[in-house]
Amino acid sequence: MIPNHELPHWSRRNFMKAAFGSGAMVLLGQFGVFRFALAQQGEENSLSMILVDYSKCTGCRTCETVCSAFNHPKEVNGKLLNGTGNPYLSNIKVYAFNPDVDVPTVCAMCPDNPCIEACPVDPDPSTGRRALYRDSKTMTITVDPDRCIGCKSCAEACRVGVIVPHPETALPERMCTLCNGEPQCVKYCPFGALSHVKVDISKELYAMKPRQIAEKLIEEWYGVSGLSGQERRIL
Amino acid sequence: MTEKTFGYNGVILDVDLSSGKIDKKEIDPDDLKNFVGGRGLGIKLLWDRLKEKPGADPLGPENPLMFMSGPFSGFPAPSASRTCVVTKSPHTSPKKSQYTHASTLSYSNMGGFFGPELRFAGYDGLVVTGKAVAPVYLYINDDKVEIRDARKFWGTGTDQFDKDLIEELGDPRFRTCYIGPAGENLVEYACIINTAARAAGRGGTGCVMGSKNLKAVAIRGTGQPETENQGLFLEALEEARQSFKNEKVYGMWRSSGTAFALEFLSGQGIMAVKNFREGTFSEVDKIGAQASRKNWVRSFSCYCCPLACKKSGKTTDSPFAGLVHDGPEYETGTMLGANLMISDNAGMMKAIYMADDYGLDAISLGNTIGFLMEAYEKKLIDKKFMDGIDLKWGSVDATIEMIHRIAKRQGIGDLASRGVRALAEEIGQDSHKFAMHVKGHELAAHNCHANPPRAVCYATANRGACHLNGTSVEEQNSTALTDSIGVCLFAMGGYGSDLIAKLMNGITGATSKTDLLQTGERIFNLEKLFNYREGFTRADDDIPDRFFEEPLTVGSRKGAVLTRDQFKTMMDEFYAKRGWDLETSEPGAAKLKSLNLPV
Repeated sequence: MIPNHELPHWSRRNFMKAAFGSGAMVLLGQFGVFRFALAQQGEENSLSMILVDYSKCTGCRTCETVCSAFNHPKEVNGKLLNGTGNPYLSNIKVYAFNPDVDVPTVCAMCPDNPCIEACPVDPDPSTGRRALYRDSKTMTITVDPDRCIGCKSCAEACRVGVIVPHPETALPERMCTLCNGEPQCVKYCPFGALSHVKVDISKELYAMKPRQIAEKLIEEWYGVSGLSGQERRIL
Repeated sequence: MTEKTFGYNGVILDVDLSSGKIDKKEIDPDDLKNFVGGRGLGIKLLWDRLKEKPGADPLGPENPLMFMSGPFSGFPAPSASRTCVVTKSPHTSPKKSQYTHASTLSYSNMGGFFGPELRFAGYDGLVVTGKAVAPVYLYINDDKVEIRDARKFWGTGTDQFDKDLIEELGDPRFRTCYIGPAGENLVEYACIINTAARAAGRGGTGCVMGSKNLKAVAIRGTGQPETENQGLFLEALEEARQSFKNEKVYGMWRSSGTAFALEFLSGQGIMAVKNFREGTFSEVDKIGAQASRKNWVRSFSCYCCPLACKKSGKTTDSPFAGLVHDGPEYETGTMLGANLMISDNAGMMKAIYMADDYGLDAISLGNTIGFLMEAYEKKLIDKKFMDGIDLKWGSVDATIEMIHRIAKRQGIGDLASRGVRALAEEIGQDSHKFAMHVKGHELAAHNCHANPPRAVCYATANRGACHLNGTSVEEQNSTALTDSIGVCLFAMGGYGSDLIAKLMNGITGATSKTDLLQTGERIFNLEKLFNYREGFTRADDDIPDRFFEEPLTVGSRKGAVLTRDQFKTMMDEFYAKRGWDLETSEPGAAKLKSLNLPV
């Protein structure tokens, strides 16, 4: 059964109910991609992230365009306006597969920071920061362009494959900014497939590559195992 | 570029497969202004390129196969996902012409992600001419364009090839479109497929692609055109998003896609049933949205589309349990279900899957098999003519066998690969009365008996019978515009003409609603001019005799039938309103002048 797309955006309350109360959030229960990722109310300094309900995503890529428009503004007559939404510049990326599965992919906010841990730049004595660090206010992964040496270690360490070095400067890009606290992808997803949720950093998280997620979804939804090595269909 | 053309890349990628020459050609800014993009710019380029070659062979190297985007493509406007494929049709012909290969233009519109990606890569359109010596595919990665060997893929069905090509490219973010074995074998109504299911279905675009030995186009881009007025664009975009959210009717599209129309139009008596003999299918509840819902696992959107009308799923009933495919949609479910009297949901899904996998237009295919079923029932043809296939109404096995034969052009499939008109000419015995086509192009899944405006829609469509053509002059002009800006026809309810004009202003610069509608009219008239030069006249704007001679015998519109007088009156009114000659249908000089078209 396809989900009911006529529902309004999910509030956090709704989300909690569906996640723990019913089978609607197949992924949460079945595969543990973001299992137990929700933080308790009132917890301080906790991380927050974009959570994807794959069963609601239709692969329209609106999230890519609004992410790009917000994070890559355009200067017009001295005023900063949203950009035109070039999806190439987006921090969230929708990967499409056959059989039909779309996997929006965005920084998983891993609490153990493998990208930061991989940064070989010595911590700044005053701030304790490497060239890649977690911003103390937004808690998002941020690069210091003046100190980054472009070694690409963070991109290699990223469990999801989100971080991409800029083709010329090699500075790491595509880390989620959470759009100053109001993630545009969550706001504009026409299908309510994305939520902005707090993460309990004391619990284990499972960041996965889009292909791994797609394989699991394809198996669950279509009963086909594996993306590659599929039996060649004979007409 | 001489002047900055906002909202466009201003560039056509021009590939000649005979010489291997790859060119980036600047587009005349006047053409963008007057023909906008998509279907409109397509007919302008076709007109220019075949200027000295009326009657050009559609399967010859000079026929351009064009993949066109519109000014909205690549911007995040809702449902701006379309690619319009324009070429000279291999499947239509006039009753009389001085040219052996006379045919209409063909335009076919597909959803997915290809058109926007074309723009990201830096082009507004791709024009392919010539013929490669061996199967190739086109690789386009921004500036980098290569003609690559596709010999190992030749013969592969579209579903497998969709995966194979991405595997070879090593990047799931390439957007691809391709032909299946039907296009390779030059079935006249072969189509171009993307995402293993979206199709530029109508008018034989896949046949033209096959004639060029072009298996696929793969494209990836990182750029984007610039808007003229970013502030206005953002304002209109926000309004459009809000308007789509508030449009109640889209709840139906989201929950059922076009499949909701199966039950609905059968109830109205205007569905294509039993080769268009009836308008109501008594067993429609077995193939409709309600029955199919259990198989659907998710909705699928084209680029930036909040409607998500495609329903992906898996057949759960034997003998085809486990078959992964989307559908039915209204057209596929009617043409490969009701029109063949097939009420076995799993069997219908198998037929739909096979049509897509072979790369056949499900509409023309359903017509062709339906026509043969009727001729077989009426004993105009026997089992020997049918190569031993017992082609009874409702037979899934026989339908499957026919699809194999048609795609491979084996035995009866060879003749059937040319569509219902060729079959009727061969079979004779007045079978043309139920050969459901206009100008050689088969009718879509909408019946005319109880829906007179539909008859005008079919008769006057420039690509041959087309259900999306529009039933009035105004509708036709506005549809021509929609097909040219890169937006899906289904989305027009969410926009309305004011928002389209506002977005157009933001993207390309000042233009008025009136100008835009006149642009639609200009496009429709240039298409007509192209066809008229090939030899198509009013005599070709006719619909099959069935609608005048055989009233419906079942359903809510039982007894409904068209009269010839009624049809003639509607058509007279149409030509008069168009400013075309009542006898010949030649576009009048005054009309052409007012539209800045060649007289």
